[in-house]
Amino acid sequence: MTAETATIELRGVRKSFGPVDVIHKLDLLVKGGEFVVFVGPSGCGKSTLLRMIAGLEDVTDGDILIAGRDVTDLDPAKRGIAMVFQSYALYPHMSVRENLAFGLEIAKVPAAEIRRQVDAAAEVLKIGPLLDRRPGQLSGGQRQRVAIGRAIVRKPLVFLFDEPLSNLDAELRVSMRAEIARLHRELGNTMIYVTHDQTEAMTLADRIVVLRDGRIEQVGSPRAVYENPANLFVAGFIGSPRMNIVDGTCLDGNRVAIGGTEITLEAPIPAAAAEKIKLGVRPEHWSAGQAQDNALPAQVEFAEYLGSTRYVHCRLATGDLITIEQRGGPEALPGENLWLRCDQRAVKFFAASGEARQGS
Amino acid sequence: MSRKAAATRRRAWAATRYHVIGLVTSLLFIAPIAWSMLVSFKSTTEAARPPLPPWPVEGFTTQSYENLAQYGVGIWTYAGNSLSVAAATVVVTVFISLLAGYGFSRFQFPLKNALFVLIISTVMIPFQSILTPLFLILTRLGLQNTLPGIVLIYVTLHLPFSIFMMRNAFDAVPKEIEDAARVDGASVFLMLRRVMLPLVLPGVATVAIFAFLASWNEFLAALILLTDQRKYTLPVMMAAVRSGQFGTIDWGAVQSGVMLMMAPCLGLFLLLQRYYIRGLTAGAVK
Repeated sequence: MTAETATIELRGVRKSFGPVDVIHKLDLLVKGGEFVVFVGPSGCGKSTLLRMIAGLEDVTDGDILIAGRDVTDLDPAKRGIAMVFQSYALYPHMSVRENLAFGLEIAKVPAAEIRRQVDAAAEVLKIGPLLDRRPGQLSGGQRQRVAIGRAIVRKPLVFLFDEPLSNLDAELRVSMRAEIARLHRELGNTMIYVTHDQTEAMTLADRIVVLRDGRIEQVGSPRAVYENPANLFVAGFIGSPRMNIVDGTCLDGNRVAIGGTEITLEAPIPAAAAEKIKLGVRPEHWSAGQAQDNALPAQVEFAEYLGSTRYVHCRLATGDLITIEQRGGPEALPGENLWLRCDQRAVKFFAASGEARQGS
Repeated sequence: MSRKAAATRRRAWAATRYHVIGLVTSLLFIAPIAWSMLVSFKSTTEAARPPLPPWPVEGFTTQSYENLAQYGVGIWTYAGNSLSVAAATVVVTVFISLLAGYGFSRFQFPLKNALFVLIISTVMIPFQSILTPLFLILTRLGLQNTLPGIVLIYVTLHLPFSIFMMRNAFDAVPKEIEDAARVDGASVFLMLRRVMLPLVLPGVATVAIFAFLASWNEFLAALILLTDQRKYTLPVMMAAVRSGQFGTIDWGAVQSGVMLMMAPCLGLFLLLQRYYIRGLTAGAVK
C-alpha cells in the first residue's frame, strides 16, 4: 500500500517572534518517501520548524513546497499533511472512532467510506477493540496509536511527528518506535519526525537534521552524522556518552602535544605548526593499559557498570574528563592510574572555532 | 485486646461526632426552607397567627398558592416574565462570553490585556450607582419598561465575570487539541462548536447558573426600570405581596411565593452542579 511520495522543500525559510529570529533562513530538501528526523536540544527551533511545515505557525520569510506545490500560505488541512502531537491531542469528548472520523467528516467523505477507512486504520494499528472507548479510558500507548490512526485515515502525503513518544515510558517507547518504523516501511510516505532523543533519531532516520538555535548544523545519514560530525556541537550532541574532546597543540606534521604528553599520530594532523586543535575520540575508541608510549596518563574518577559494557570516567593531566567504554577486562578502580590509547583512525579534528577539519 | 477496644471506641466516637455536627449544620440550613414550605401549606388565617408550631395544625391546604396565583394580573404572567428575562439573559450572556473568552484566550491583538482588565474592572462599579444613567439610556433607546431592556442591563452586569470564567475555561484546554482540529480541517467556528464547546461546558454551566440565579432574583433594577405592573418580574411582585394589601399581609402567599421562586433555581443547580464545581476549579490544578 505504498502511497505516492511527496518531496518537501524549504527555501530560505525564516521565522521571527518580534525582533527575535527563531529560525534563520533555512534551506532543506526532503526526498519523497524519506524519513527525516529533526534533532537538537530544547529551544533549537525543531518543533517550530515542524509546525511551520504543518501550517500551524506562520512563515516570516521564504517558501515551503510540498510535492512541488507552494503551500506557504495554505491552511494546514490543505497541505496534504497529517500530524501526531506529543500530548496526543485527541478530542477527549469523542470516542476513538469519532476521533478518527472527525477529519473525514469535515472533508464531507460519505459515511460508508469513513467507516471503511477508520476500520482499515484500526486494523493497521490494532486498535479495533478500542473504537468505542473515550481517550480517557486508554493507556498512553493506546492513545498514541489512536493519534497515529487519526493521521493515517487522512491519507496524507506527509506525516509530521512532534516528539510523539516523549510521554511514554521507556519500554513502550521502544515498541512504538518499531511500530513507527514499520508504518514507514508499509506506507512509504515522506515523514518528518522531531525528537530530542538521539536513539529515536539514529534508529528511525534515513537522514538526520541536527539543529541548533534555529540553524541547521548538519544534515546526513545517522552514520555520517555519528562518524563524521561537521562540528563540535554535532560531535557532542550525537552519541551517548558524548564524544571526548581533548585540547591539543599541533607540533608539526603528525605530532601533537596534549597537556605535557607528546603523541605521534600515523597520519598528518590537519593543522599548522603551533596551532591549537581539538581532538575528538568516541568512548568506544579508547583502550586503557599500563605505561606505554603514545598514551595519555589519566586517573580513574569513577566507573559505571551497565552489564555488557562499562564506562570509565578518567581525568587527564590537562583537566579534561574522558569517558572510555570497556567490554570485559579487569575492573578500573577509582584513583587508579591508567594510560589511554586511542584508535588513531577514529580521531576527529576540530579547529578552535569548532568546525571539523578533515584529516588525510 | 483492650487497645483494640479503645481504638474501636475512638473510631465510633469520631463517627458519631462527625454525623452529629453534619446533622446539626444541615438542619440549620434546611430549617428556614422547611419552615417556609410548611407555612405555605397553612390556610390564610392560620398563616397569620403566631408561627408555632410551624406545621399546619388545621390540615394541609393549597389556599395560599391559589391566593398567590390570583395576585395582580396573575402569577403566571410574572413567572413568565421572570423566566423569559432569565432565559434570555443566560442565552445572550453565554453566547457573548463564549466568543469573548475564546478571543481573549487564543488570539493576540493590540491592547488585549488592557481591554481585559478594563472589562474586569467594571465589576468594581456598584451598579446601583449607575442606575440613573442606565435608566436615561434605556429611556433614550425606547427600552425603558420593556423586558428586552432589562435583559440588556442584566447581560451587561454579568458579562465581566462570565468573560473571565470563559477565558479561564478556554485557557485550560491544551492548544494542541486546537492544532489537531486545524490539521483535520476545522474552520474556527466549526472547531469552536464541535471541539472547544464540549470541553468548556463546565465553564458554560457555571456562567449559565450565575446568570440565571442573578437575573432571576434581581430586584432593584427591575423595580426601577419596569413601571408597568404587567411587566413585573417575580421579585418585584413578591415585594408587593409582602407589603400587603389594605394593611394585611398574607403570610401564606408570601411563603408560597418563596417556594415558587426557589424551585427553578434548585432544579437548575441540581441539573448542572456536576459541571458547576468543575467549572469553578478549572485550571486551578493540572
